[in-house]
Amino acid sequence: MSEKQLLKGNIAIAKAALECGCSCYFGYPITPQTEIGEYLSLEMQKRNLAYVCAESEIAAINMALGAASSGAKVMTSSSSCAVALMQEGLSYACSDELPIVLVNVMRAGPGQGYIYPSQGDYNQSTIGGGNGDYQTIVLSPCNVQEVVEMTYKSFYMAQKYRNPVILLVDGLLGQMAEPVNFINNPYEEIDNSSWRLDGAKGRPSREIHSLEPEQNKLNQHILKLSEKYRYIEQNEQDFEEYLCDDADIILTAFGTMARVAKAVCNHFREQGLKYGVFRPKTLYPFPYKRLRELSIKAKLFIDIEMNLGQMLRDIRLGVLSNAQVSFVGKPVGDWLKKEEIISAIENIAKECHASL
Amino acid sequence: MQVYSVPKSIKENSTFTFCPGCDHGVAIKLVAEVLDELNLRENAIAIASSGCSVLLYDFLDVDCIEAPHGRACAVATGVKRAHRALKNDKFVFTYQGDGDFASIGLAESMHSALRGENITAICINNTNYGMTGGQLGPTTVMGQVTATSPLGRNRQYHGFPIKTAEHIALCEGVSFCSRVALYNVKNIINAKAQIKKAFEYQQQGLGFSFVEILSTCPTNWKLSPSEAHKKIEEEISKIYPLGIFKDIKND
Repeated sequence: MSEKQLLKGNIAIAKAALECGCSCYFGYPITPQTEIGEYLSLEMQKRNLAYVCAESEIAAINMALGAASSGAKVMTSSSSCAVALMQEGLSYACSDELPIVLVNVMRAGPGQGYIYPSQGDYNQSTIGGGNGDYQTIVLSPCNVQEVVEMTYKSFYMAQKYRNPVILLVDGLLGQMAEPVNFINNPYEEIDNSSWRLDGAKGRPSREIHSLEPEQNKLNQHILKLSEKYRYIEQNEQDFEEYLCDDADIILTAFGTMARVAKAVCNHFREQGLKYGVFRPKTLYPFPYKRLRELSIKAKLFIDIEMNLGQMLRDIRLGVLSNAQVSFVGKPVGDWLKKEEIISAIENIAKECHASL
Repeated sequence: MQVYSVPKSIKENSTFTFCPGCDHGVAIKLVAEVLDELNLRENAIAIASSGCSVLLYDFLDVDCIEAPHGRACAVATGVKRAHRALKNDKFVFTYQGDGDFASIGLAESMHSALRGENITAICINNTNYGMTGGQLGPTTVMGQVTATSPLGRNRQYHGFPIKTAEHIALCEGVSFCSRVALYNVKNIINAKAQIKKAFEYQQQGLGFSFVEILSTCPTNWKLSPSEAHKKIEEEISKIYPLGIFKDIKND
């Protein structure tokens, strides 16, 4: 498996899922992620694994909920407006502490929007639309190689933390083919024998439920979940930085937009301006710690997104108060080009450039 | 000599928390007795739902997961398929109310039946949303006064109720489908036999099996337990006739 293959992002996700032992997939077609389900439909049937063409995304996420309770590795995939239908299930899965991998290959919204590329689901993923105090882990790849690595990581984190993980993929990346190296899955297996439902044989029966009529118990349960989230925030922040050590101006971007940001950074570096790029790889937990350190030196942060400024809020929360934060973005369609971003930045950073 | 005892599949020292005269307790006890008789307790996974049926896991001593409202058959599908993928065969059944099964969850219920998922669904039909205080549900009968049909269910204003078992019987993936009641001993004995058959059909891998149980809701019907049972005998079971609507072994 070490040879490089030219693969579309969606197919890479499907192959990586099989590689790390996913035994159940439930899904409903929606562009631009349908190839994931198409690919798995044959591969899983050949292996006698579980594949159900669900009647809706609501059914799909609930099948995933049931399958996860059995201790199986479970994945479902969908896109934006249909991930919206899964929010209830995610809230339940968080409360029930069930490991589910949900791949969201983003399209444009709001509402039905269209299949144009967009990064409009940052808020949906990191904040969520379900009820109650819950949190899903969110990973954001920027190329097809990382799609594979983060698919592995998604399954691992889901099992390790008994929590849903969202792999948030740009529509662009789902549809784009790149050379990819299928490294071996580096993660250990997590034992789930202490909680999975496999029949009360030789042990007391187990219950998995989110309903809790006793107020104190419900409070304790939510506080216990919250402790887990705080632990994840302390230990799992992940990011990539590019030329940030001496940077005066730092571009922030997630997913494939970070690749354009690097090109923009190189352009300004060639002019002698100390630019850097900071890319969160975990959108939750957001890498606030490193961002804060970088803002000790950097004066200006320019956030670039294919939406109207959703990660922008986390950038503002993360940097120290002396740092200035600006934004370049557009909601949907053709990815922002290097030249468009450069010209926008030349306006935004005119004063800053002059002072450097 | 037969000595009566609490079924092994009922948790020790558990007390039903249902309203006096409600048939849920009888239905759960029948399910537990059948689990015992078929020796299924240690291999079973129950799916609880939302509404009065939610507390199933407080009473049944089997592994149990609670589904979001209406999604019990989807959750059951996931449980059954996952264990099969892991090379196990588990006995999987849902326990749902009529609002859960036939209103909010109709898509999940019917598609599980159509796919012929090898699971069993038990649906308690008490003609209203019991836990929230007796509102109009998918099975509320014509003319029935509820908290949200204060002038009675009306064809023009509210439309018609669903005959759940008759609809499920039309799905090709169904192995067994029946409607039973619990208003007297004869019917209780019959109900248990039907539940047993439904469970056995799953054991034999024949596909989706379904039992709709006509049940009392004395609190919301504002009737005494005996009046409520009389209502099932004289009115409700005339609208929702008892019987077997599909049995692939006989059809």
